[in-house]
Amino acid sequence: MKGSYKIRQWFPYMVSILCSLLFLYAATSKLWDFQQFKIQLGQSPILTAYADWVAWLVLIMEYTIAFLLFIDAFRLKALYAALGLMSMFTTYIILVLHFSDYIPCSCGGVLENLGWTEHIIFNAFFIVLLTVAILLSIPKLPPKAVPS
Amino acid sequence: MIGNNSYIKILGTMGLSIGIMVILFLSSEQQVHRNNAFTRRYPPHPIQKVYALDLGFNSYYIAGFETDALFLANHTAPRHLLQIDLASQDTAHIKIDFQGKNLPYRSLKIALFPPYFFVMDGSAPYVLKGTTKDWVAKPWIEDAGYFMKGIPIDSNVIFLSTIDSRDQMTALGLLKKTDQTALELYPDVLTPQIDGVFDVDGTIMFDPGSNTLGYSYFYRNEFLVLSPNLDSINTLKSIDTVTVAQIQLATDSRTQASQMKAPPLTVNKTATLFQNLALINSPRLGRNEPSHMLMEASIIDVYNWQKDLYAFSFYLYDEGSKVKEFRLYKHWLVALMGSTVAVYRLDPKFFSIPINPTDNPKEKTTGQ
Repeated sequence: MKGSYKIRQWFPYMVSILCSLLFLYAATSKLWDFQQFKIQLGQSPILTAYADWVAWLVLIMEYTIAFLLFIDAFRLKALYAALGLMSMFTTYIILVLHFSDYIPCSCGGVLENLGWTEHIIFNAFFIVLLTVAILLSIPKLPPKAVPS
Repeated sequence: MIGNNSYIKILGTMGLSIGIMVILFLSSEQQVHRNNAFTRRYPPHPIQKVYALDLGFNSYYIAGFETDALFLANHTAPRHLLQIDLASQDTAHIKIDFQGKNLPYRSLKIALFPPYFFVMDGSAPYVLKGTTKDWVAKPWIEDAGYFMKGIPIDSNVIFLSTIDSRDQMTALGLLKKTDQTALELYPDVLTPQIDGVFDVDGTIMFDPGSNTLGYSYFYRNEFLVLSPNLDSINTLKSIDTVTVAQIQLATDSRTQASQMKAPPLTVNKTATLFQNLALINSPRLGRNEPSHMLMEASIIDVYNWQKDLYAFSFYLYDEGSKVKEFRLYKHWLVALMGSTVAVYRLDPKFFSIPINPTDNPKEKTTGQ
């Protein structure tokens, strides 16, 4: 019981750090060559019309979530946000792969070398991690609810 | 209870995210392909498919026609021509003999002006000329100026598009060889809207039957019909509503080259002239058109440029892939789609076919 309690405490924390690093890395590699990122995003068949502000939005979201994941008070909300972002990204990949006229690539850094299928698996892995982390961090509430 | 609640929250988060992406995708598709401001007319069967031949390669392009034969040249095998008799479907392979010193070629293009044929490379630049009797290409013009696209419009004139060195913008011109070689540029024919290079890009056209030249802009609802010496410019509007090119340019941070920041909105994908008609392949849907048609066919809009009016539209159904290039000749329509060439017969009710002057004076749109 004690061991599992420890995992319950540490797992969400580990996932938060992992996600945080991922977002920081992704966002920084985009910022490094922001012009290139905007061009690539604009060439995407889904976001063509919105590329300019989506580029900024993605960057800001990634940094904000990465930052909030480090703060205890916001961790749960940040985990949800991270889950949402990963789900959006995965949906994007699936839509591009199946429904678009042509397939662009706009992932940065090391991830540029990932194939689309590997990318989906990579994302799915993170979605699972985040889901588990959220589920594990919620039962922390009951002890607080019964302080007596 | 709390556990249940968090499942709902997780699923809700995922559902919301997926929903947002799908909505973004659909609205972007809508913007690119659909435009409900114009309506097309599809009269029954203006063309009828006769046959389709598999060429085995997708690198063929249309070099021209002579008598009843279509000639296809190949980007990856520049000395090779495929001759197809449009009536009998017989094919023959032709080998072109390039004479003169070893010429470098980067973007070689072969085009017929019977009984002559021309081998053009505007990036070298040179033009070779020969006759279709023996298919020997001899040096004809060398170093007269670089050009991007060219079509022979007479035995000694080539209609071309190039970058004008004076203002670095795209201009149309004529490359002539009479006593002397001369490259004449006409910088006022094309109207720049953004940078004068990307935004004015388009298809150059020539119809030997009516002896007219043409130019259709890729990114705006306009095309030009021109006299062979480029002195009379007839500007016409296509039925689309995009009047100003919707392209965004950016300078690449790595190479410093100017490039497209977003996929441009293409209005006139490819086009051809035939007698009094201009035919334009549009990738955009009009009012009440089913969107699945864009997946199954290419839309061709037909304009009567003499009367300055939109006549009708028809579909060219995909043969493995979309129409890359199409041309009308005698009573045929020839379309290249991927590695297939499809041949259609024109209905004389809709097209004024040159051989037998059986022009129907009552004209098009026989009710729908």
